[in-house]
Amino acid sequence: MDQVNVNQPLDYKKKNNLKKAPSIWRDAFHRFLKNKYAILGLVILTFMFLFSFVGPYFSPYLDAKIDVSKGNQPPSAEHWLGTDNLGRDVLLRLMLAGRISLTIGIAATLIIVLIGGMLGSIAGYYGGWLDVIIMRLADIIYAMPGLPILIMLGAIMSDLKIPPPQRIYYVMFILGFISWVGLARLIRSQILSLKEQEFMLATEVLGLRDSKKIIKHLFPNVLPTVIVSATLGVAGAILSESALSFLGLGVIPPTPSWGYMLSAANNMIDFAKRPWLWIPPGVAIMLTVVAINFIGDALRDAFDPRQKI
Amino acid sequence: MLRKKWLPLVVTLIFILSVFLTSCGKTETQTPQQSQEQKTTPTASVQDSDNWTKAKDTSKIPEASKARTDTLIIGLHEPKGVFNPLYSETSYDNYVNSAIFDSLLEVDFDGTYIPSLAKSWDIDKDNNTITFHLRDDVKFSDGTPLTAKDVEFSYYVLADPTYDGPIALSAAGIKGFKEYNEGNADKIEGIKVIDDHTIQIQLEKVLGTSLSDLNIPVIPQHYYGKDFAKGKLDGVKALEQQPLGSGPYVFEKFVPGQEVRLVANENYWKGAPKIKHLIYKTTTEETAVQMLQTGETDYETSNITAKKDNVELLESLGFVDYSLLPTNGYGYIAFNHKLPKFQDVRVRKALAYGLNRKAIVDAVYQGLAEVRDVPQSKVSWAYPDEKDIIHYDYNPEKAKQLLDEAGWKLGPDGYRYKDGQKFTIHFLASSPNPVNDALVPMAVENYKELGIEFVAEPLEFNAIIDKVNKGDFEMYFMAWGLTPEPDPYTIFFSKGSQNKIGYANPKVDELILKGREELDMNKRKEIYHELYKVLNDDLPYIFLYQRNDLNAKNSRVVGFQISSFRDFTYSLYQAEILAY
Amino acid sequence: MTQFIIRRLLQSIPTLIGASIIIFLIFAMAPGDYVTSQLQNPKMTEERAAQLRALYGLDKPLPQRYISWASGVLKGDLGDSLLFKKPVIQVINDFIWNSFILGVAIMFFEWLIASIVGIYSAVRQYSVFDTIATLLVFILYSLPSFFLGLVMLKVFAVDLKWFPLGGMITTGSNYTGWAHIVDVAKHMVLPVATLTLISVGGLSRYFRANMLEVIKQDYIRTARAKGLKERTVIFKHALRNALLPLITLFTLELPSLFAGAMITERIFNWPGIGKVVLEGIYIRDYPLFLGYTMLITVLTILANILADVLYGVADPRVRLK
Repeated sequence: MDQVNVNQPLDYKKKNNLKKAPSIWRDAFHRFLKNKYAILGLVILTFMFLFSFVGPYFSPYLDAKIDVSKGNQPPSAEHWLGTDNLGRDVLLRLMLAGRISLTIGIAATLIIVLIGGMLGSIAGYYGGWLDVIIMRLADIIYAMPGLPILIMLGAIMSDLKIPPPQRIYYVMFILGFISWVGLARLIRSQILSLKEQEFMLATEVLGLRDSKKIIKHLFPNVLPTVIVSATLGVAGAILSESALSFLGLGVIPPTPSWGYMLSAANNMIDFAKRPWLWIPPGVAIMLTVVAINFIGDALRDAFDPRQKI
Repeated sequence: MLRKKWLPLVVTLIFILSVFLTSCGKTETQTPQQSQEQKTTPTASVQDSDNWTKAKDTSKIPEASKARTDTLIIGLHEPKGVFNPLYSETSYDNYVNSAIFDSLLEVDFDGTYIPSLAKSWDIDKDNNTITFHLRDDVKFSDGTPLTAKDVEFSYYVLADPTYDGPIALSAAGIKGFKEYNEGNADKIEGIKVIDDHTIQIQLEKVLGTSLSDLNIPVIPQHYYGKDFAKGKLDGVKALEQQPLGSGPYVFEKFVPGQEVRLVANENYWKGAPKIKHLIYKTTTEETAVQMLQTGETDYETSNITAKKDNVELLESLGFVDYSLLPTNGYGYIAFNHKLPKFQDVRVRKALAYGLNRKAIVDAVYQGLAEVRDVPQSKVSWAYPDEKDIIHYDYNPEKAKQLLDEAGWKLGPDGYRYKDGQKFTIHFLASSPNPVNDALVPMAVENYKELGIEFVAEPLEFNAIIDKVNKGDFEMYFMAWGLTPEPDPYTIFFSKGSQNKIGYANPKVDELILKGREELDMNKRKEIYHELYKVLNDDLPYIFLYQRNDLNAKNSRVVGFQISSFRDFTYSLYQAEILAY
Repeated sequence: MTQFIIRRLLQSIPTLIGASIIIFLIFAMAPGDYVTSQLQNPKMTEERAAQLRALYGLDKPLPQRYISWASGVLKGDLGDSLLFKKPVIQVINDFIWNSFILGVAIMFFEWLIASIVGIYSAVRQYSVFDTIATLLVFILYSLPSFFLGLVMLKVFAVDLKWFPLGGMITTGSNYTGWAHIVDVAKHMVLPVATLTLISVGGLSRYFRANMLEVIKQDYIRTARAKGLKERTVIFKHALRNALLPLITLFTLELPSLFAGAMITERIFNWPGIGKVVLEGIYIRDYPLFLGYTMLITVLTILANILADVLYGVADPRVRLK
C-alpha cells in the first residue's frame, strides 16, 4: 500500500501557482463549455429560473379567484397541470413556488458551503485550540434538537413582529446555520490528511501565506466533497423549507413553494388519484437538483487540468 | 473485529431472504378458494344501529379476517399505555380503559345520562345532595364485588393534592373538596358512604351539570388502594399497566406502539362478551383503510377522516360498513374581543357574511361537513331550531354595507380605514392543519374584496395557545370538542376559564347561569335554545363547521350501536363475529 | 493514542454541560408547556393549571429547574415522561431498540448499495449506467420519503400481499425465538427497503466523487502502468483511498441508528423512538425529550471521537494531537 500511496502530483500544483490567475479561469471556462452535461445543466437551470420568474406573467390565472367547484380537476387544455382542491391552477402555483424554492435552495446552500467550508478548513488546517473550539461548537450545534429550536424561533419572530413576508430571508440563514456542521466535519478530516502531503510541504518551502495555502491548494482538493454536499444540500433545503413554513418560519400561505406543494399531497388518495398534485413539484425539484449536479460535476472537472475532455 | 460486526448483518440478510421465499409461497396457496361458498347470510342477535351504511358485497370479506373466529381487532391511533381511567389523557387510552372499566353513569344515544354502575340516583335540591344507588351484582374481574367504598376511593384519588390526571373534580363543587385538596382536612366532608351500595355526595350547590361532573370511572380500592393515604398516589400510579376493573374485557398484554390485548370478562354484569379476544391495534391515517382492506383490522375508530375520498374508497371495497356521525364539537374562528375593531357586532357580522365558509368546508371535507352558525352540535338536545337562527351565508354586499355602517370607509387604495387606521387582520394559523390550508387563501381573497388586509402567520399549536393565553392575538382558527353536557360555561361565560377571547355579554352570562342551575330537562332545553340564539346573533366567534366522525368495520362483525355521543366501547360486550 | 482519547473524553465534559444547558434552555423557552398543551380540555381551569404546573415543577425559575433536572441525570434518573406517565428511561427502552434494528439493517444495505453504485459510476463516468444512476438518485432524493413508503405499501402489502401492512409483529401473535425473528424480519422488509432507497442516493454520490478524485491520481496511473489488473487497481489501490473521507460520514451516521426515522416509522407503523419523541415535542413532554436529546448528544460526541481515532488509524499520515 505504502509505495503506491504517492500523493498529489507536485508538478500540477506548482503549475497552478506559477500561471497567472486569468488563464486558469480561461482554461477552466473553455473546458466547462466543452462539457455537454454542463451545457445541459445550464440550460435546465436557466429554464427553471425563467419558468418561475417570468412564466407567471403568461398565465391567464394570475388574477383568478378561488373556485372550489373547479377543485381537483385533472390536467386539461384549460389547466395544463390540473387544479388543486381550491380550484387553483397547478401550473401557475408551480411557477410561483419556484421563485421561493429556487431562492431558498440556492441561497441556503451557498451559506452552508461558505460557513462549513471556511470553519472546516480553519479547524483542519490550524488545529490546536481553534480546532477544539470550532469542533466542540459543531458538536453542540449538531446535537441541538432541530424542531424545538425552530418552534422557538418561529415564536420569537412572531413576538418581534417581523413581518411574515420577510421571514424567508431569515429562513435561509437558519437553514444554513444549522446545516454547516456535517460539511465542516468532512472538510476538516480531509484537510487533516491533505496537509501532511508532499505538495503542502512544498508550499511551506515556498513560504506561501496561510490564506493562499488554504484557498488555492487545500480547498480545490476538497471541492468534490463540497460539490456533492452542495447539490444534495439544494434538494434538502428545498424540501425542508416546507417543514419550516409550517412553523411560521418559511413562506406564508397562500404563497406556495415546491416543498409545500409536495407535502400538501401526503395521503394515499391524493397520491393514487391525483398525481398532478405531486408529480409537477417533484419533477421541478429533481430537474433543479440534477442541473446543479451537472454544473457542479463539470465545474470540478473544469478546474482539474488532468481531465481530458 | 470487523467480522464480528458484520455477522449480525449477514444473518439479518439471510432472514430477509428466507422471508421473501416463504411469503411468496404463501400467496399462491391463498388465492384459490374464493366466492365458491354461497351460504345464507348469517344473522346476529343484536343488529347494528341503523346509522351504519351497510356493505353491499360480503363475499369480498378478506380471507385473512375470516380466519380469526374469536378475535376482534380494532384499529385506533396509538395508545400510550396509561391504562388507568383516572389518569389517561388521550381518547385512545380511554377507548382501551372503557373496555376494562365502568363508570357510574353511561351516555345514551341522545347525549343524556342513563344508569350504569349506579342503577338510580336521587337529587335533593333543598339539601344539595345527590345519592347514587349502586347495582349489587357488579364484580371486578377478580371476583371482588364492587361497593360504594370503591366509588369513594375513586373520588379520593381524584381529589388528592398530588393527583395530576385530566379529570377536574373540583368543577363539581363537592363540599369539603377544597379543604381536602388544598388544606389539611383528612376527609372530604361531602362524600358519605351510606351502605355497601349507596353513596351520598353533598355539594355546595346542585346544578344541572352536577351529574356530568360527578360521573367518574370506578377503580377497585382493594387493588389500587393498598398503601393509599392522602398525598400518596404511588401505589395507584404503579399499577398503570396492570389495570383491573369491572368492564367487559380484562387486560392481558400491552406491546408498546403495537397493540393492547384483552380477553373477555366472563363475569361481566351485562353478560359475558360474545367475542373471546379483543385487540386494539395501532394504525395510522396513512394506512387505516388498507388495514381494513387486507383484513388486518375489523374495526377502525379514529384514523379515517370523514371526507368523500375516503367514503368512496370504503364503498369500493364492498365488504365494509361505515357510519358517519356528526362530531360532538365544532370549528370556529375566534376574535380578540379586547380589540376595539372587533367590539362592534356589525364588524363581526360583516366578517362572517364576507367569508365563503361553505367553500372552505367543502374544500376540506368534500361535502361531508356542514357549515354551522351556532356553537353546538346539531344532534345535541340543546341545539336550537334552525329557523330561529341567522344563517351567515356568503354575502359580500351585505358585509360591505355592514362595514360602511360601522364606520370603516373605503380608502383610495382599496382598503378600509377608520380614524386613520387601516383595517388589517393578523391571523394565527396553527399548522400543519388542512382547514387552515383552505381557510387562509380564501380569507385573504374574500377579505381583500371587502377592503380588509388579512395577514396569516403559521405557528405551531402550542405557540398559538401561548399567545392566546397572553391575549396577544387578533384572530385564530381552532376547534372545540364538547361533552354530552351542553353547558358552555367555561367557554362563553365572561369569567369562564376557557374564555380567553375576552368575550362578555350580560345576557349570555345570565342565560348560562340559569341553564346550569335548572334541573328540569325541558326547561334547560328552552334556556339553551334561547342562549344559542343570542350567541348566534352576537357572534363571539365566526362559527365554521361541524364535521363527522367516521367509523368503519368489516361487515363480519355486528352489534355496534353507536351515536355521536355513545361510542363503540358500549357495544363491545354485545358485538359478535358472523361466520361467512 | 490513549492519551488522545483521554484528552478528548475530558474535553467532552464541558461540551456536554454546554450542550445540556443550551438544549434545556431551548426547550424551556419554547412557547407553551405540558399544561398549555392540555388546555383544549374545556374543563381545565386556571387554578387547576397552576396546580398541575406546581406538581410538575414547571412553576420554578429556570436555573432551579435546570439544576434539579441535571442532578437527576447525573444520578441516572431522567424523570417521568408526562405523556406516558412512567420513567423516561423505560419509555426510551421500550422504543429505541426497535429503531435500532431498523437503523442497522438500513445502514448495512445503504453502504453496500451505495458503494457498488458509486464505484461503478465513477469507473464508468458519463456512461449510460452512470447517467441512469445519477437520475435515479436524484428522483429518489427529490421525493419525500412518505411517497416511496406509500408506493411500497400499496404494491407489496395491499396488492401483492407479500409483506404485512406495517407494524412490527403479527397482531395477536405470541411467537418466540426463531419464529419471532422471522416475523419481525418480515415486517422490516418494506421500511428497510424504503429508507435504504432514499438514503442510498446521497451516499453513492460521495462514493462516486471520492472515487473519481482518486482514480485521476498519479499513483493509480502508476499502478496501471505497472500492469496491474484493473480490478486490483480499483479495489486495492483506489477504493482504500477513496474510503478515507467516508469514515467521517460513517461515524456521523452512527448516532442516528438510535435516532429513529419519524416519517417512515409513522407510515410503516413501526414502534420506533422517532415518532414517540416527535409527539413528545408537540405536547411538551420535556423530561422525555430532554432525556432523549441528551442520549443522542452523548452518542454524537462519542462518535466524533471515534471518527478522529479511526481516521488516524486508517490514514497514518494524520497525526492525532
